[in-house]
Amino acid sequence: MTRVLVADDSETILLLMRTRLELAGYEVETAADGQEVTELLHEGEPGQLPDLLLLDAMMPRKSGIDALRELRAAGVDTPALIVSAHQDATDADAPSDLEVSGFVNKPIDFDRLLDDIAELTS
Amino acid sequence: MAVIGVGRFIQQRQDFEDAIARSYQVEMAARVRLTRGNDNRTARAAVAAQANRRQELRDQISSDTRDTALLVAAGLIAGLTGALLLFSGLIASMRRPLEELVDAAGRLAAGDRSARVEVGGLSETATLGAAFNEMAGQLELEASQRDQLDRLKDEFVLTASHELRSPLTSVQGFAELLMLERDSLTAKQVDTVEIILDNCRHLVRLLNDLLDLARSDAGRLAVTPKPTAVAPLIDDAVRTMRAQTEGASQALSERIEPGLPLVDVEAGRIRQILVNLITNAHEYSPEGASIEVMARVVGVDVEIAVTDDGPGIPESQLEHIFERFTRGDAGLTQRVGGTGLGLAISKSLVELHGGTIAVRSTPGVGSTFSFRLPAAGLSGAGPGAAIAEAS
Repeated sequence: MTRVLVADDSETILLLMRTRLELAGYEVETAADGQEVTELLHEGEPGQLPDLLLLDAMMPRKSGIDALRELRAAGVDTPALIVSAHQDATDADAPSDLEVSGFVNKPIDFDRLLDDIAELTS
Repeated sequence: MAVIGVGRFIQQRQDFEDAIARSYQVEMAARVRLTRGNDNRTARAAVAAQANRRQELRDQISSDTRDTALLVAAGLIAGLTGALLLFSGLIASMRRPLEELVDAAGRLAAGDRSARVEVGGLSETATLGAAFNEMAGQLELEASQRDQLDRLKDEFVLTASHELRSPLTSVQGFAELLMLERDSLTAKQVDTVEIILDNCRHLVRLLNDLLDLARSDAGRLAVTPKPTAVAPLIDDAVRTMRAQTEGASQALSERIEPGLPLVDVEAGRIRQILVNLITNAHEYSPEGASIEVMARVVGVDVEIAVTDDGPGIPESQLEHIFERFTRGDAGLTQRVGGTGLGLAISKSLVELHGGTIAVRSTPGVGSTFSFRLPAAGLSGAGPGAAIAEAS
């Protein structure tokens, strides 16, 4: 089963994401901030990496961008989508070294998000 | 001097008349002696002498009058010259400070809040200068306070529209989740959830519009234009709006002149303007109305226009229509859910692209909102033109 790791500091958003993604047939893990994301991935067995990261850009302790930067430095090349509350964040805003697969704007258009996830994990 | 001259003239005239009168008295006495017949020679000589005497007196007085007139004239000229010299001195001493004041007022009006004058010269101009400086200082203080308030307002709008997005995502997301299970909901529940979703979309529009305006005010609304074809932009906007206009049985059509030149625009922003204009036409027109999107070349510009045959806009509203929070009369339709910001943002965006936006409307006939964008490469200095020439 395709596994997606979702990180957001809002429990409500995590519940929403989990529900929508599970309905669409994905296995979902959640993290409350970037710190938890890096800890989860460092502790996990190699080969146990999720198929996709869905990271909120702004989180306390460690942002999604900073977490992704750390993971990329550690050689993790899992595709990643950055969720941003900026109205019109675009791929052009991503630091080029992060290999961000795309931006998801809030409020989330789930039809588009599920299309993007399906494409990135196929 | 002139006064002395006039006084002397009057005195001379008096003396002259007295002398003439005495001369006649002497002559009369001589003529009396002549008629008595004694001392004829002496009397005749006296009569002749008096006639001569009077001639001399007359010559004398006319020469004196001339001299006195000259004196009066000289006095007047000297007086006037003195007055002129005095005035020009006064004027000169006021003129420099006044010129400085006018110059400083001009700079202040043009936005140079540090404009001040040097206080000096006559006490009147010094007072004026000091008053000007005090006023300019007050204006500078108020302007800087206003700038600070504006910055705070922009920051607030940016932060608020950012912070509101997360809870909005939840509300909208869970409402959508409910709709995924609409088969197990009652018709009333489905209606309720649809109302929630409608209002979420409205809030999103409001947030996006407020954010755009705050950016525009802060000078942070920027576009990155690229040479872009107009027709696909219109197709895209029309496709986006199709479901809504069909829902109101409105005909939405395109009329695009073939062979339109490219325009230098940021596609997403032009699409946003078009969606704004078509949304307005849709919301303010009754069911069954016609909406047409046209594009054509006008001079060196491409003009895009959205025309409807809706109720039109009264002339009193037309002049304020591009101001924020101006909204048309919603009496005709309950569909109107706009934010009152769409046209203000559209105007900012069109102008950011170096274009212009305009409206024409006849009550009872319909409205046309049109905007013009300069065709790409026609400015001559664009990098695209240089590359095209080099290759």
